[in-house]
Amino acid sequence: MRDIIESALLSAKRAGATYADVRILEREVEEISTKNGSVDALKRSFTKGLGVRVIANGAWGFASSFRLTTDEAEKVAEEAVLIAKASSLTKIEDVSLAEVEIFQDTVHQKVEIDPFSVPISEKISVLLESDKIMNIPGVIVRKGNMYFSKEWKTFASTEGAYIEQERIVSGAGISAIATNGKELQIRSYPSSFGGDYQRKGFELVKSADFLKNAERVAKEAVALLSAKPCPSGIMDIVLGGSQLALQVHESAGHPTELDRVLGEEASFAGMSFLMPDKLGKFRYGSDIVNITADATISEALGGFAYDDEGVKAKRIYLVKNGIFVGYLNSRETAKKLKLEPMGAMRAQSWNFMPIIRMTSINLEPGDKTLDELIAGVDRGIYMDTNKSWSIDQNRLNFQFGTEIGWEIKNGKIQDMVKNPTYTGITYEFWRSCDGIANKDFWHVWGVPNCGKGEPQQVMQVSHGVSPARFRNVKVGVLR
Amino acid sequence: MIGKDKIIEILKKAVSRSKADQTEILVMGGKSYLTGFANNYIHRNVGNEDYTINIRLAFGKRIGSATVHGFSEEIIEKALKDAELIAENQKENPDFVSFAKPSKEVRQFDEKALYSENTANCDAECRAKIAKEVVDASKKLGLNSSGTVETETGEIAIVNSLGVEKYCVRTVASIKNIAMATDSSGYSKSTAVDITKINVEEIIKESTDLALSGRAPISIEPGKYEVILTPYAVAEFISHILYLSLNARAVNEGSSFLIGNFGKRILGDNITMYDDGLSEETIPLPFDFEGVDKKRVVFFENGVAKDVVYDTLTAYKEGRESTGHSLPQPSPYSPYPMNFVIEGGNSSPEEMISNVKRGLFVQRFWYTNPMDPKNAVITGMTRDGLFLIENGKITKPVMNMRFTESVISALNNVIELSKTKKIIYDMASVTVPYLRVKDFTFTGKTEF
Repeated sequence: MRDIIESALLSAKRAGATYADVRILEREVEEISTKNGSVDALKRSFTKGLGVRVIANGAWGFASSFRLTTDEAEKVAEEAVLIAKASSLTKIEDVSLAEVEIFQDTVHQKVEIDPFSVPISEKISVLLESDKIMNIPGVIVRKGNMYFSKEWKTFASTEGAYIEQERIVSGAGISAIATNGKELQIRSYPSSFGGDYQRKGFELVKSADFLKNAERVAKEAVALLSAKPCPSGIMDIVLGGSQLALQVHESAGHPTELDRVLGEEASFAGMSFLMPDKLGKFRYGSDIVNITADATISEALGGFAYDDEGVKAKRIYLVKNGIFVGYLNSRETAKKLKLEPMGAMRAQSWNFMPIIRMTSINLEPGDKTLDELIAGVDRGIYMDTNKSWSIDQNRLNFQFGTEIGWEIKNGKIQDMVKNPTYTGITYEFWRSCDGIANKDFWHVWGVPNCGKGEPQQVMQVSHGVSPARFRNVKVGVLR
Repeated sequence: MIGKDKIIEILKKAVSRSKADQTEILVMGGKSYLTGFANNYIHRNVGNEDYTINIRLAFGKRIGSATVHGFSEEIIEKALKDAELIAENQKENPDFVSFAKPSKEVRQFDEKALYSENTANCDAECRAKIAKEVVDASKKLGLNSSGTVETETGEIAIVNSLGVEKYCVRTVASIKNIAMATDSSGYSKSTAVDITKINVEEIIKESTDLALSGRAPISIEPGKYEVILTPYAVAEFISHILYLSLNARAVNEGSSFLIGNFGKRILGDNITMYDDGLSEETIPLPFDFEGVDKKRVVFFENGVAKDVVYDTLTAYKEGRESTGHSLPQPSPYSPYPMNFVIEGGNSSPEEMISNVKRGLFVQRFWYTNPMDPKNAVITGMTRDGLFLIENGKITKPVMNMRFTESVISALNNVIELSKTKKIIYDMASVTVPYLRVKDFTFTGKTEF
């Protein structure tokens, strides 16, 4: 491995690079999905290769290959330098990186049960047992899925960094779709779009207790068909953790990505309303809103030991006491704004150049219980589990739909409602937050499918949240 | 490139070594490059060479799958062993009948339409020069450009133990620009097999004209408006019905609005839509990822629901033939229309605008998502060009708005379609005209 890395770094320097880094990644994945009593897909995948990122003539170049040999590493590094030299054709100023501490380290990940040591038959049986329980009248599609991955990544740079990291991830979820011929209703557990994901072993599946939750999931899907429609109007809402995780993702995570802010993602993902003139001054939320980016949380899907620039994982505030105070950054963007690099650069795999990604973006816990949040609502809706999401390219106007909701009247949970939706403007919404549940209700939800960048990269991120209350929100926009 | 002879030889050898009742090997890969620019300079410039090998083995009705990256006999051997191990632990899938059988009828197709040396040979300097042309033009106009120049040269090969043996090499090139002023932006993108067929000047003109005329937008109230949707907006809006409605899986799973409506007119009688992998109106692909030759599938003819697309799993279960619309298996999104077309009308975009008394011109929608899958209700934002039309003329730029609208309702409210169509490509190809639609519902607005 070291000889391949040295070949790439030497070759890059020889070809004219003033900086180069190499990532070699090897990843094994096992995916199982079941549908209506049988295994829909059972698949193992394996990938291995190297990517070389260089600065030459003051501009970026990146090339990659699946062939892991010293000769190929030299060739890839030379191609990266050629690409960088072509980039310099439009250069306005030289790329410059903020100074960081240089590390040599090897980091293993501890898990209780290696997910690859558990027989496939045991995994299938958990999903098919849940499937059987969900098979009740009205349910037309029962789905279950599991995901396990194990990777080993080596990062080295011409500055002397040499970091090896292990990453083990498990994820699982079940869902039931019910219909009466006119409409579809879905319920999922523990979260929608594949369930919950963490940097854990098979213990994640064991603790999720699918068999205990399957019946409720199916019954709620059927009950939603005859539930009354979510009312429309301005009212208070309480968001459950799995929905709030996506709210944090879209309205706090993405707008604090400094590459978006500086226009580097404008041609695809868009930009942000949190421009640098707002840093340290702008009231993003109410006084109780504290949002952190924390890659150091043990087992969080968005966590790691070092990012893909070799920057050590950190915890920083993005919003403190309601004021916008921090960005997710890279060495290059941090230098532009004279900030300290906080370690948010990650690539999907060896064949992608790292970009700024969310780590674990968390709404810090408050001091209420869920009952206290609900008790404080005269007229409103408790909503949970995301069903649809949409937000403008500057991350201001959002609209979310959830799988399920319950009316709240005079401080008490009442009837179930279907197709709940709410919409708003990001900072108005967070300024209306007047209650956050305490740490007993706090959970770090894994989001395995965050898309960003060109070429598009899918990243695993996470959000620690507990339920929270928002006042005077526009509810029920679905016609 | 590895080349047809070598790939097919290695795949056939691997298939013959397999112990399974049925074996299928799919290889996809090649070289892809992207030169990205933002703030009027190239900020991202990347290249990648990769091959993905998908192996599916069937032991009776037990299916095992494995995917590996790279290309060598050794790596295929590893994938075969992994797939065997998986299949041994697998339960029977009662819906499985067979992998693809060789197609009975093969439509005539000239494979030269798939490949261009101009695209394959466009190197880093060639891409950077195109980027420079775009950013220089933007700079001259005082605008800020952000976009991409992308090229891809890919091989696809499928061999299975039932006699399917397919190979093609294809190129795709795309050039995109978003021109931005402080309070406006304009979008343009084109995709072609041959990069020299993309008119860079047109991309510059479309994007910069919109950005220049979009300055100082006004805010208007949400509500129902007559709209002119460009092909970019149409493609983004209707793209959701490709996976929610127009395929056999969606019909089986209950999410398709075609259920119970085949043979009935449920869209406007001016709406005809189909999928045709061999049409040069799209970025063609002559066979699917199971090696089945693409059939032309008509979804709606003059508003009447006709058919949906199938892969082998959904087709053989119903005792019919696959239409050639499988994605690489296993996939929760298969089957899928990869070459979707809405037939055009007789108008020009200019005539369509001149027929609007009061309405909105929408260049593009963004971040769309289904709110109600069964009724194909979609929400999303406008982006990169929204203008008020008054008395047949574009009069003022407008701040972006949120829409919440059903595709079914909108396609019943189409008053006019343009003759011109455009290919909108993002992994799959969607070719659509401009549409004039009445009573299109906007439900919110934003601050820019």
